[in-house]
Amino acid sequence: MKRTNYRVNSGVRFQMLSNDQLEELFGGVLHVLEVTGLEVHHAESRDILKKAGAWVDGKRVRIPRWLVKKSLSLAPRSFTLFARDGNPKHNIHIGPGRAHFGPGPTCPNFIDIETLERRPYIKSDVPLVAKVVDALPNIDFCESLGTVNDVHHDLGALYEFAGMFPNTSKPIVAWSYDKFDSQAIHKIAITEAGGQEAFEQRPNYVHYCEPLSPLVSTFEALDKLVFAAKHRIPLIFTPCPIAGGTAPVTAAGIITQGAAESWMGLTIAQAIKPGLPFFMGGVYSVMDMNTMVLAYGAPELPLMMAGLTELAHYAGLPLWQTGGCTDSKVFDEQAIIEGSMSVFFSALTGGDLCHDVGYTESAMTGSVFQLCAMDEAIGYSRRITRGIEVNDDTLAVDVIHDVGPNGHYLRQAHTRRYYRNEFWYPKLCDRRNYEEWELMGKQSFKDRVVARVHDILATHQPSAIKPETEKVMQELIEEAEDRVLTDEWINRKPAD
Amino acid sequence: MSEILEQIATAVIEGDLDEIEDLTEDALDEDLSAQEILDGGLMAGMDHVGVEFKAGNMFVPEVLRSAKTMQTAMDIIKPLLIESGSKMVGKVLLGTVKGDLHDIGKNLVGMMCEGAGFEVNDIGKDVDPDGFIAAIKEFEPDIVGMSALLTTTMRAMEHTIKALEEAGLRDQVKVMIGGAPVTQAFADQIGADGYASNAASAADLAKQFVGTA
Repeated sequence: MKRTNYRVNSGVRFQMLSNDQLEELFGGVLHVLEVTGLEVHHAESRDILKKAGAWVDGKRVRIPRWLVKKSLSLAPRSFTLFARDGNPKHNIHIGPGRAHFGPGPTCPNFIDIETLERRPYIKSDVPLVAKVVDALPNIDFCESLGTVNDVHHDLGALYEFAGMFPNTSKPIVAWSYDKFDSQAIHKIAITEAGGQEAFEQRPNYVHYCEPLSPLVSTFEALDKLVFAAKHRIPLIFTPCPIAGGTAPVTAAGIITQGAAESWMGLTIAQAIKPGLPFFMGGVYSVMDMNTMVLAYGAPELPLMMAGLTELAHYAGLPLWQTGGCTDSKVFDEQAIIEGSMSVFFSALTGGDLCHDVGYTESAMTGSVFQLCAMDEAIGYSRRITRGIEVNDDTLAVDVIHDVGPNGHYLRQAHTRRYYRNEFWYPKLCDRRNYEEWELMGKQSFKDRVVARVHDILATHQPSAIKPETEKVMQELIEEAEDRVLTDEWINRKPAD
Repeated sequence: MSEILEQIATAVIEGDLDEIEDLTEDALDEDLSAQEILDGGLMAGMDHVGVEFKAGNMFVPEVLRSAKTMQTAMDIIKPLLIESGSKMVGKVLLGTVKGDLHDIGKNLVGMMCEGAGFEVNDIGKDVDPDGFIAAIKEFEPDIVGMSALLTTTMRAMEHTIKALEEAGLRDQVKVMIGGAPVTQAFADQIGADGYASNAASAADLAKQFVGTA
């Protein structure tokens, strides 16, 4: 093909903010970090920051611009998260123009798989969620959609990881209560990977921790961050600022504050382990001034997240995105509208890991049914973002010529060559005519979602973990159960 | 099932137009009868295709490729079937009625019927009642299929059925109708023998009419 000065847009182009606006936001974040600073409730982190060039005044830490810029330049924009079983289809390649999706963590409630009723999230829900994640083609990473309620309250995160890891080989995003959880989780992951060095080369999970808005890095958040950085575990440092409550009411203001909160973590992490894969991120949304909830279905959420994504990419970092979630209490039209719109918007931005897919009731209740429905919305979105390919063969002028007026294209080799890739085939949306739909029992979308989840759980078999990993996992759980009963644990004091 | 018949069935399922002629000739060389090739190879393959299509595992372009593969073999064995007095599956006459220029749906019905083993004669679109009558006399079909896409042209189906009655041909054929605005109720109202809501069920209906379903 002979082409000159020919530009290709191989997908849908989306851009909201101009370079000038991004530069202004970037400058705002640097200003907050340098002039206002943040509270850092972690002595080791303060030492690390001071040594790196930050100004430390009691717990208040201010970071000069050059140090933030240096930290940004050290963090990679492209890297790979690996499937624990080596399945290349389950690897996640982080990089420009690649949007990935997965559930979120820590909802107190869960929609029961059988009764479809809301109830507290329990340990036996974890493997089910992980299995569904493993099977759904458009869900790329795993979180559990809930906090385990029926174990010792300090061990929920460990039981959660132990429930997810054997039931999906897709990369896991793991949160934890404290460093002890993090240590146990890491031991499980490196046993499967074949040791610390093997893990560093092919990381099979990401560590998630959260600073507190406004402008506080808590002891636990940083204790976990320091642990993750020292062990070269890819890191997500993600605040959850609420516009009008814990952050400025304006979209530009919340982005500026939230980015500053993430970049405090970035600076510590890069000082410990230069080149550590690091996601900035968050759940950025509004406090509904009527109901006072943090709205997960508000249009401002995808809007603010789009602005944040553009800032992250401008600064050279991947983003922990948010979408596929809803404020609705039940699996209804509101849930689908809010979830689908934010999923599509997230896909357009190319935000790198989009989480909270499957959240309902403003993150109070996890639903694997919402997750399954969103798998369809993500597939739909991905077909659109993949765009239109234009070349001699797709232009089809020869085929048009051969078929001519009054002909048809059904028997063309061209049709057979392209119909699978050019068209997206729904798994849940029904396109049958009325008579056939009637014959199939007049199923609603919800009926089909429930049936698909049940079918996956009845038939899907994730790849197994190694027997030695299984053994290590059981030992770690027993150790942890013993630890939380000791006087030392019960009487421990919060560090600072 | 003999190995060669299995290969023929597989060729039909895979739409292997390159191999089907040789395989059919080989089967005849092995002294298999045309009827055995039709029933045990070609129809066995197409039955499988039908099941996979309904299950959503095969798509229209593949089904049509399979149908074409079957037709390629039929061209070889048809004279032998006629010679031996075997009963063919049946003949279908298809046309879009007077005033209507749409035909993608009717074409699909034709290809699906071919895939079901029927001999199909497609007389095109904008066919007036006399056109249908002349074609029935010449082709002697078991089934006449009429199609219309427009609410304004579907009434021409009724006129055509009346014309068949007046010409004394109505009892010789089963009439099936289809098209976006057409319903079972309309089919009952104008005295058609059957209605199908899509191309695959039209082929099923045709099989019911000739008693092979």
